[in-house]
Amino acid sequence: MKDPYTHEQFSEKLRPLLEVMAGEGIQNAVKGLSQMTGQQITVTEPEVTLVPLVNIPDLLGGPENEAVGVYLRAEGEMSGQIMLVFPYERALKLVDLLIDEPEGTTQHLGAYERSALAEVGNLTGSFFLNSVATMLGLEARPTPPAVMVDMVAAILDVIIATAAGVSEHVLMLSATFMQGDREAEASFWVIPDPRVLEAFLEGKN
Amino acid sequence: MNNIVVGLGEVKISNNPNDILVAYGLGSCLGIAMYDPVTHVAGMVHAVLPSCDDTTEINEACSKYVCCGLEVLLQKMLHAGALRTRIVIRMAGGANMLASTTFSDVMNIGFRNIESSRRKLSEMKFKIAGEEVGGNIGRTVRFYVADGRMAIRMMGGKERDV
Repeated sequence: MKDPYTHEQFSEKLRPLLEVMAGEGIQNAVKGLSQMTGQQITVTEPEVTLVPLVNIPDLLGGPENEAVGVYLRAEGEMSGQIMLVFPYERALKLVDLLIDEPEGTTQHLGAYERSALAEVGNLTGSFFLNSVATMLGLEARPTPPAVMVDMVAAILDVIIATAAGVSEHVLMLSATFMQGDREAEASFWVIPDPRVLEAFLEGKN
Repeated sequence: MNNIVVGLGEVKISNNPNDILVAYGLGSCLGIAMYDPVTHVAGMVHAVLPSCDDTTEINEACSKYVCCGLEVLLQKMLHAGALRTRIVIRMAGGANMLASTTFSDVMNIGFRNIESSRRKLSEMKFKIAGEEVGGNIGRTVRFYVADGRMAIRMMGGKERDV
């Protein structure tokens, strides 16, 4: 199978479309997260990049760094993968925020803490998808989220294994959440399935 | 000691006893290593996906697939002076990172990687001397050129031999 997106197609056609889409989608996701936490959470301007698969394990500071990944898939006409990745220590602090305890209270991630983080993935993913689906008039349903606590590279293998059969790159929409002036260091990644991008290109030519 | 990183879909070979071949943070990926204990030629492939189709040409570009990666690894081992009948195999990885979730059945690429590797190695008439595969945990794999030892480390854990 031919690599579905070349650099040329990406920079000329896809990028501007996706930037608009990602911008609105992520703003909507962050609105949901602010409501959930009762805190004013903001988000950096989302970046749309074409990332070589081989570079993915090194993207978040190093392949062995301890991290938490919340993963869900979008199913329907607009299928793809959504992954929220937090450095481990930051995930503990986020749980404190979610369960309204002072920072430093949560020391490990048990079933309860993991389900709180799953809810963050669920909510940001759903808000993102709703916004983008409405914009494009396409259908998208989020799957229930899965929470992984492991080395960054092992977590990101999920995305790599899904994409590696069809492409040498993944198209990634990424943004960082902020709480006040503190960077929350949560990376929000959306990786549309290649067939969705093809449809996108054909429809918008 | 000198770490040689074996990245996604790569095959690396060494016969320098000071080298360690390392694949960091394997999730569903597999690190499969070959070793000739006489010539001390060591090699490892970091395979991502189970199998390519039968028409795929065997070259380094396809070594992200278990089946092709093993062929490329063997060719490079022989080229570097290993003797086929002396080659010892060890492997680690192939976890199901999405275990016990709604994804586990349809997306268990780790399991398919292990199956594909066992089948291919059997076709190539190799036996597996040691392995640490499956589960739902990521592993860093180190392969010591000096003695052909494979060691793994998991998050928060200490290194131990396979």
